[in-house]
Formats: sequence, structure tokens, C-alpha cells
Amino acid sequence: MDQLVVSKNDLAAMTIAEAAVQIRSRELSPVDLAAATFKRIAALDGQLHSHILVLEEAGMAAAKEAEAEIAAGRWRGPLHGMPIGLKDIYGTAGIPTTAHSALLRDHVPTRDAACVTRLRDAGAIFTGKLSTWEFAIGGTSFDLPWPPARNPWNLEYDPSGSSSGSAAAVAAGLCLGAMGSDTGGSIRGPAAWCGIAGLKPTYGLVSKAGVLPLSFSLDHAGPMCWTAEDCALMMQVLAGHDPNDPTSADVALPDFSDMEAPIAGVRVGVVRHFFERDMPCEPDVAAAFEESLRVLRGLGAVVADVVIAPFDDYAAAAGQISRAESYAIHEADLRATPELYGAIFRQRVAAGAFVRGVDYVNAQRARARLVAELAVTMRGVDVLMFPTARKVAPKMAADKSLGGAFYNRAFNLTGSPALSVCNGFSAAGLPIALQIVGRPFEDPLVLRVGAAYERATPWRARRPGV
Amino acid sequence: MQAKTSLEDFQALVRRAGLTLSPAQIVELHSGWAYIEPMLERIRAHGRGREADLALTFRPDMF
Repeated sequence: MDQLVVSKNDLAAMTIAEAAVQIRSRELSPVDLAAATFKRIAALDGQLHSHILVLEEAGMAAAKEAEAEIAAGRWRGPLHGMPIGLKDIYGTAGIPTTAHSALLRDHVPTRDAACVTRLRDAGAIFTGKLSTWEFAIGGTSFDLPWPPARNPWNLEYDPSGSSSGSAAAVAAGLCLGAMGSDTGGSIRGPAAWCGIAGLKPTYGLVSKAGVLPLSFSLDHAGPMCWTAEDCALMMQVLAGHDPNDPTSADVALPDFSDMEAPIAGVRVGVVRHFFERDMPCEPDVAAAFEESLRVLRGLGAVVADVVIAPFDDYAAAAGQISRAESYAIHEADLRATPELYGAIFRQRVAAGAFVRGVDYVNAQRARARLVAELAVTMRGVDVLMFPTARKVAPKMAADKSLGGAFYNRAFNLTGSPALSVCNGFSAAGLPIALQIVGRPFEDPLVLRVGAAYERATPWRARRPGV
Repeated sequence: MQAKTSLEDFQALVRRAGLTLSPAQIVELHSGWAYIEPMLERIRAHGRGREADLALTFRPDMF
């Protein structure tokens, strides 16, 4: 297949931060930006399959409204007039929300998810409902009502998931930001393989009310953008307590406004055993990571190795919790209409029927220990760092493997903020990524380290097909 | 990768769970079980005292 091309002069190649400055000063019209975005979706999404539903009519109407408001001096903030996509598990009032599943083909919520309301109130323009692995877990599947999203760096390659459409759309310039969700790495994995930034915020910092759940105690809602700075702009809108989400944290809101502050003195703990011993990564991933550490040292960061629990300890606990909780959600439908799910979803979720109550409790006990141990380690460092994935994207295939390609799910278990940023490319031109993990509610620091790294390296200037 | 649980034993688990899957769907589920079994064993094997490691409640703000 042909490569997609994002021209550097294209509106689609702007970041949210850049576009916001121009929209506020009225150099850039939200209507022109939205029109260019929908034109691009029409031209490219037939190959990319990042959208289940394009919201052009409503999006253009919202863009005209944004333009009129800004002209009248009522600029709402950096997301005003910004084209944003929604993973199709985010409830949208009056608009189908399918979870990419035949089971919900005709599901139309009556309410917006809390995140959707926050983004709408901030003036965002919703471009469409984006492809996902089925119910945010199914895997790359070809037996669902819509095809799986493809990787814009090479359409024959997998974008990862579950927020596959979100990552593919942002990387291809079909929206400037998108909402993803992350239960075992579903924001960070596709962000890594599609070469963008993706933040899994601290558990409880962003409301999940109105988002179709997968695993109550591991689910996180979060932003996916071209840069860490853009993720911070989205987090400024998304973060906050929500009484309608029982897991929402009622804490003082972190300030995401200063992404330019230097990172000299920030203590970086490298979890070397994750990628050298627990689940060894490929050589080009290791080389990119070591070069990234050199860059960070150059920025004044203090880098040292740390040891935490083996990755498999985290994966075992997270796996049982996720399976039990997701089966609790889907048991009735799996019993009544198993044929309405895809094969990979059935394989992954129906196994939750065989997790005993005592296994779930002991997995939660293991979780408590792992959280406490990590808290001790993180008294000595400000952030942890390691590659996001042990390898670059593989070719598209119906993914039935349950083996791990990512170092992600440990931090769903601990609830820590975790950011994936692009830190290079393989010889084949596929993105490589590193991950930055912080203490709970220190999401701004995690983003600040990512933003500093992105400014110091050339990777954000490279777009798919350029 | 082969599951330790035989297909016959696994079929019994499926029946007990009330799932009405086709033979092909059961085989598909059984093949995935091979990856899950070691993780379950890891959780089950971990020695814990009676008073150790309260399971609940998860509170990220209690760090």
C-alpha cells in the first residue's frame, strides 16, 4: 500500500499548542482547520481505517460556532476549535458508541461521557468515533463489523491497541488530539508503535464516567497527541474530581501549565531489569533507549539504575484482576450471545470465568504489596524510565497471542502516571518509544520530562511518509 | 505453548461456567489458557501469612 504523507506545511501537521496560538490571534480559522481535517479524513481513512464514524456535519457546525465566539472575544482556552477524536468507547449522547463490536452496533447513549462534556465545554471539535480493539481488549481482529485500524508509518504494520484508531488518527494528522483508554497499556502501546505521545494519567485523576468499562480498578482515561506538551494541554481540561465516577480522586488539581521548565536535577531511575532480564528488548530498542539517557543527562537529569519487582509479578496480578473484572462485565452477554463477540475477545475475556474468587483476592493482595514496594523505590527517584515496547510494530495479523510486547501493565496495577514518547525509528522507519513513570498525581512532572526530551531531539519533526 | 489443563478438563470448566460455546470456540479458549495458567500459578504460589498484605482498598493517594 502507499505511504500516507503529512506535509510539514499541512494544517494537519500542527500541534495543538501551535494551532491554539494562531486560533486565539485569529491567524487561523477553526472552520479552515476543521475543513482541512475532514478533507484529510475523507482522503486517507479509506486506507487507514482509524474511524468507525466521521462527525463532519456536527464538527463543521461546532467549528463555525467556535469561530464566531472567538471573533466576539470569547476564546475558551487552548482546545477551542481544536479537532479531537474519541475512541469509540466514550459515550456520546445521540451518537452511536459501538466499542467496535457487533454487540453494540446499534447502541446510542443518551449522555455524554464526563470527558466528552469537559472537552466540549472547552470548545473542542469532535471529528469522529475512532476504531478500537473490541471493548478495548479484543486485539487486532478481522471478524468484527469494521476493519482494524492500520499503522500510518506503514499500512501493512500493526498500530497496536486497544486505542488503535486514536493513535493512527493522531499520527496521520486526522485529528490533533484524541481520547484513549488504558487498562493494560492501551494508550501507551499504540502511542509507541504509531510514534506519538500518550499519557495514562494517575488512577482517579480523569473521570471514567460514561466510558464503557473493561476492568474497573485498572481502567484509565487519557489523552493521545503528537507531543507531550499537547497531552498537558488536554490534561488541563480533563483532570478533576467527578462525583459520578466512584473511583475519581478528590485531590488538589495538578498544574499542567508549565511544560517549559528545565529538568536539571530530576532523578531518573532506569528499570533496567525490565528490558534486559525480565523481558529482553530488541537491539534497536535498547540502542535508542541508551541514546535517550545520554540526551537526558545532557539536560541535567541525574540517571541511575533502580530495581523494582520482576515484571511478571505485576503482569500476573494485573492479568487476574483484569480477567475477573472484565468477565464480571461481560458474563451475561458471553453466555447469551457469544457469537456477537470476535474470537480474540472471547479468548481473552471468557477465560475470566475460571479465575477463582481467591485468585482475585490474592491478586489484589499482591497488588497492595507491589504498590507499597514501588512507593519506597520512588522516594529515591522522581521518575522511572524504560522502553515502552520491547520491539517495533509487527506486520498486521489477527493477533491471538497473549504474550507481552510491552512493559505497560505494571503501572495500571500501581495507578502511577505513565507517558510514552517517541525516541527514534528502526531501520525500517517504524517508531520506537520510551516510557516515563511518576509518583501518583505528579503527572505534570512526567509530561515535563517528556516535553523536554522531545524538544531536545529531532523526532517530532518527522511525520509518516515525509 | 500447551496448557497443563487437558482439553477434557477444560470442557468441564466451560460447562460449569454456564458458557455455551461451540467445540471450535472451546479449543480457541483452551489455547489462550496456556498463557494464563502460569500467571495464575504465580499468584497462587506466592507465600503470604494470614495477616499479611491486606487486599483492599487500593488508594493511590495514600502513597
